[in-house]
Amino acid sequence: MAVAAPQTRHAEHEGPPVRPTGRRRWTAGGWLRVAWIVPLAFLLVPVLVLALRHWLSYPSSPFSVLNPLDDSGWNDDFWRFAKQDLQPLITTWTVVVPFAFLAGIGGFDYWAYWISGRPTRPEDHSGHGARTWRDYFRVNTDHKVIGIQYVVTTIIFFIAGGLLAMFLRAELAKPGMQIVDPQGYNGLFSVHAALMIFLFIIPAFAGLGNYVIPLMIGAPDMAFPRLNALSFWLLPIAGLMMLSSYLVGPFAAGWTNYVPLAVQQPEGNLFFQMGVQWAGASSILTALNFLVTIITMRAPGMTFWRMPLLVWANFATSTLVVIATPFIAGSQFFILFDRVLHTNFFDAGEGGYPLGYQHIFWFYSHPAVYIMMLPGFGIVSEVISVFARKPIFGYRLMALSLMAILILGFSVWAHHMFVSGMAAWLRVPMMVTTMIIAVPTGIKVFSWLATLWEGRIRFKTPMLFALGFVSMFVIGGLSGVYLGSIPIDIHTSDTYFVVAHIHYVLFGGSLFTIYAGFYYWFPKMTGRMYNEALGKLHFWLTFIGFNATFFPMHWIGVRGMPRRVADYDPQFANWNLIISIASFFLGASTLVFLYNMLVSWRSGEPAPGNPWRALTLEWQVSSPPPVFNFDEIPQVVGSPYEYGVRGARHAVLNGAPTTQGREAAPMEESVP
Amino acid sequence: MASVAHAPEHDHHGPPAANVSSRVDARLLGIYIFIASEVMLFGSFFTAFFFARIIVPNETWPPEPFELPVYLALINTIILVTSSFTMHWALQSIKRNYRAGLIAGLTLTFLLGLTFLLIQAREYTRIGFAPKDLAFGSSFFGLTGLHGMHVFVGLNLLLYALIRSIRGHFGPKAHDHLGVEIPGIYWHFVDVMWIIVYVTVYVI
Amino acid sequence: MRRRAVIQMIGIGFLAGIVTGGVAFFIPWLPDQASEEAKAIDAAYWFVVIICAVIFALVAGVSLYSCWKFRAPPDDEDDGSPIHGHTGLEIYWTAVPTILVTAMAVFSGFALAAAEDLPDKHGTIQVTAQQFAWSFTYPELDRTEGELVLELDKPMQLVLTAKDVIHSFWVPEFRMKQDAVPGVETTVPITPIKLGTYDVICTELCGLGHSVMRARARVLSAEDYAKWAAGDSGDSAETTTGEGGDTSTEGR
Repeated sequence: MAVAAPQTRHAEHEGPPVRPTGRRRWTAGGWLRVAWIVPLAFLLVPVLVLALRHWLSYPSSPFSVLNPLDDSGWNDDFWRFAKQDLQPLITTWTVVVPFAFLAGIGGFDYWAYWISGRPTRPEDHSGHGARTWRDYFRVNTDHKVIGIQYVVTTIIFFIAGGLLAMFLRAELAKPGMQIVDPQGYNGLFSVHAALMIFLFIIPAFAGLGNYVIPLMIGAPDMAFPRLNALSFWLLPIAGLMMLSSYLVGPFAAGWTNYVPLAVQQPEGNLFFQMGVQWAGASSILTALNFLVTIITMRAPGMTFWRMPLLVWANFATSTLVVIATPFIAGSQFFILFDRVLHTNFFDAGEGGYPLGYQHIFWFYSHPAVYIMMLPGFGIVSEVISVFARKPIFGYRLMALSLMAILILGFSVWAHHMFVSGMAAWLRVPMMVTTMIIAVPTGIKVFSWLATLWEGRIRFKTPMLFALGFVSMFVIGGLSGVYLGSIPIDIHTSDTYFVVAHIHYVLFGGSLFTIYAGFYYWFPKMTGRMYNEALGKLHFWLTFIGFNATFFPMHWIGVRGMPRRVADYDPQFANWNLIISIASFFLGASTLVFLYNMLVSWRSGEPAPGNPWRALTLEWQVSSPPPVFNFDEIPQVVGSPYEYGVRGARHAVLNGAPTTQGREAAPMEESVP
Repeated sequence: MASVAHAPEHDHHGPPAANVSSRVDARLLGIYIFIASEVMLFGSFFTAFFFARIIVPNETWPPEPFELPVYLALINTIILVTSSFTMHWALQSIKRNYRAGLIAGLTLTFLLGLTFLLIQAREYTRIGFAPKDLAFGSSFFGLTGLHGMHVFVGLNLLLYALIRSIRGHFGPKAHDHLGVEIPGIYWHFVDVMWIIVYVTVYVI
Repeated sequence: MRRRAVIQMIGIGFLAGIVTGGVAFFIPWLPDQASEEAKAIDAAYWFVVIICAVIFALVAGVSLYSCWKFRAPPDDEDDGSPIHGHTGLEIYWTAVPTILVTAMAVFSGFALAAAEDLPDKHGTIQVTAQQFAWSFTYPELDRTEGELVLELDKPMQLVLTAKDVIHSFWVPEFRMKQDAVPGVETTVPITPIKLGTYDVICTELCGLGHSVMRARARVLSAEDYAKWAAGDSGDSAETTTGEGGDTSTEGR
């Protein structure tokens, strides 16, 4: 992958960092060290595990079968036991090999220096900033490099997840089984969902936030740059782990992975449990970093009520991540222990409560929906305000509604379990909170509409995606209200109606905002403009393909097609064929996006510092920004959304105001 | 080394110092947020425990014929609580620039923590039930095991702090002993968590 | 200006409403209504549909109108009106949705109570799910069958459990759905009001045979049910299912 645009114009001040040469290249952090340390760890694990099991005299150890005097042992018996033993082996591999990789690439180097009492050279910026494309493949502490690393990695997993979806739709184009067997089909949708949720939507927002947040709040970097680098490198580990479940047969119990089915599944399921741990660790560490950065590193004058809404949104999201993510870690640990250590956390026959898993799982996974939505709300607020050339309508209420969603988000989890047989009394309270959470969400939608009102709307690609998001998200939100109503949910839960709903929320909702964010900050990140015509083409193809694919799913769901089925009743054949064709169209529309991004990154027009005439701080520096973002920390003097207010300004940078004129007026209500 | 050669330039062209917009030190805030996350991880294990304990009707707790070594665990609790005090003493020592106290405090804390862990390992082997014995056994080993892992991590942190304090890396100024303070905060968290685990799992 | 805008929007909305409503009228949205419980659930469904349709029409109308009306001419460098907010409007669009969702919640609560209301005098059928089959035990008849047979207008309580993993019992025409959980007994009331043969569908992913985990639900008249109860299962199965095996919803 060629990164044509020179990442920084200030690089010449720095001088290229001197990389180790000769034999030291093998011991210094980097891919050469990975090349020997990972295979070493990979080989060491079976030796350790088998030796330990042999020592503890576990009966199923292959060693107990592998008697050198008994040549029959090498045959079927050995492999039968070896296969049973794959579970502890896989578990240990999935723990040890990633650590070996991280140690190899250099993720722990500084901490090792610190631990051993060697100088940690805080002033050493050799791992900071990108001078060549090679720097994107190293442990880099620059939040801008990490942001791009994140975005590119997530797009790769997005393509992988999307291809799985194409296979899904190909299988469903006709009733009966054509392409995969039922277990393979279950694997397809499980891996598709896991990749899209844990490896695309959540980290894509983390990546955009990583790039933009420090710039927006006027900070030179994140609070913990090395932790930031580490949390990025956890991500490809998680994604490759989930994909590598295909080596032993993919995990196939859905991304919800309900017990007891998950415990009963083949060993591929372990890759999901461990993959979630690594992805979860990555997002917790990033969220922690965001929170500390936003709290402690805002520029002077950047009070909470002057923060751009994206910063607010990331603040709320990060709080959700920090508080909720441990619950999915816990839930997957329980399954892991049930599988590998033969515990019985949720086995009714052993005094467990079978629905306990679902409660723990959804206590994370419902807030996770907001983890996947709130940053999108932030992006859309930025984009709509800039391209409608108007202050965001009701800024404070927008920020407060984010906080309301954050708090209410923890009180609605059991609406996923209305028909699960859980305590009946819990249903109505959960329905009420679910309905109430529609109110702050509605406030946001109405405020965006009011921001459009009497604006001067420019239909650039990010704006198209933002507007597409508002309309699609309203559909997804309203179908969410249907599902929140218990009687309707009794009929529609676990049908294609739910499939339609989540795709309207996560595709029409989250993905549209991610696209909006990609296009909006593309000039800032790469220093080049994307092709506007291709961007618009991409939007319309996606918008049409998306609706043609997912809208009919509402109807076939209500008519009686359950979800997660490899085969279905012939009465739904025509609609499924239409949906499949539309989905291929939708898949193809992504190629326009990829082409646009790649070609524009290589040879797009050079971007000016502020192509959108936006007021927020990231647009007040060059595109791409200097290595340390600002030559001196800006002084914030007003709201970030004062479009059309004569003489108002957001910040003073290098002694010059971001816009000319008189002092910013205090925020006040005004009606035309 | 390149960094040495370029040191003056780096001083010149390094990042502008970030504005400090909070009275809380970033690193302390970081460990507090991390601990909030850890509390939630314990929360998920407690939830699983309470499902087995309360949602599923049990005639007795612990279920027949199992018994929990309440008094042995009490001794362990006392050991861990004591280690919190020695940790506090270590931190107070370095604040008064009393390095011997720091080293002695950290060493004592480390040894007490190690004793706790060894006693717990001994308890595991003699307790009379295994993780596979009922949801009770699973959640018991889940909670105490998770806590044990945290003690293990805490011991590592203490060891690193100890190495550095022997090498004389810490000083009395607020920024010069964060390397003791942060492992200390973590250690107190592990300690408080144990008291909660002890009360819920063993006593009630 | 603003009044004209509102009138224009209402006009466009009215037209769009007639067109979509006309189309909607001819589409069979829900499956047949074959149980007493379905009436309550459908009532909630249409109640929520109407409210949501109005909200969506409003949002779509306003956004399309603003996009068309407030689009900037090419090369325009102007900014929009600096409107920061409007407290009255904000209170309004916090309060009205709150009232609407409360209405929907209350209506749903009553509909739920109506759907789950089971007369004291009811029969019981024991439903056991396993990978990948259903079995139905009729305690009164002391029989276990692979199909669900119900008597018209007779309220029944289905007591569900599962042998291995979680399954979910669903008959779209009855609208009722309930998970069958190993080690837990869950119940679902059904009062069939329409003769016919329907599909029992498993809706909770239960492994590789999930999509084919189906059974037949037959609703028989009192006479036919008595005949079936007397042990005449084979014949009546032939007569009632007749055409098309267990494809239940018969197109419409």
